[in-house]
Amino acid sequence: MMRILFFAQLKDVTGRAELEWPEAAAMSPAQLWDRLEQLWPAISVHRPATRLARNGEYVGGDTLLEPGDEVALIPPVSGG
Amino acid sequence: MEIEVQLTTEPIEPPPMGAVLRGGSCGAWAEFTGVVRGEEDGRPIAALEYEAYEPMALRVMRDILARLGERHPCHAVRVIHRVGIIPVGEAAIWIGVAAGHRQEAFAMLSEFMDELKKDVPIWKRRALGPEEMPLRQSAGA
Repeated sequence: MMRILFFAQLKDVTGRAELEWPEAAAMSPAQLWDRLEQLWPAISVHRPATRLARNGEYVGGDTLLEPGDEVALIPPVSGG
Repeated sequence: MEIEVQLTTEPIEPPPMGAVLRGGSCGAWAEFTGVVRGEEDGRPIAALEYEAYEPMALRVMRDILARLGERHPCHAVRVIHRVGIIPVGEAAIWIGVAAGHRQEAFAMLSEFMDELKKDVPIWKRRALGPEEMPLRQSAGA
């Protein structure tokens, strides 16, 4: 099981704040994005500017996302 | 360096810094308050709604402060960021810094705000127009 979290405009695109994925194998961020784009094609415009966090830490494109992870999609932030 | 970070849905009430200042080693106490403006993208608004990925936002804020503290040694830093609906004129963020001298305190305030706006997962979710506020307030009453 992998838990995917959506924030800000990505919550609007997907219509949800989170998704529980019955994932049995690790996947790369690119594979995750490809699958999300299959579910919500409109999410693709956000892909270039959105960072991924794995269990609360920003990760690069070469990090494997494992079953049991909480993966957050972080669009450009605007706090303060 | 003492670090405290907090997210709240309530109006921000800056905490007293008495104990830190009474220690005798602080020569500077600097505060910054970020306030919601009455205009967003050129149109008048009544409030902004903020959203956070709370556990990560708290951790990233702590990490930024600890890192900045190595360059700008301070005695204590406290940050409170409000989330949810924040009416115009109210504080979205408050920072208080106690330091030996003003240079470290000002640098900490300024550089923390720059880093916050790059890396802390907090978002201005949407602007609420004046017409939306009475409905929201009565719905929550």
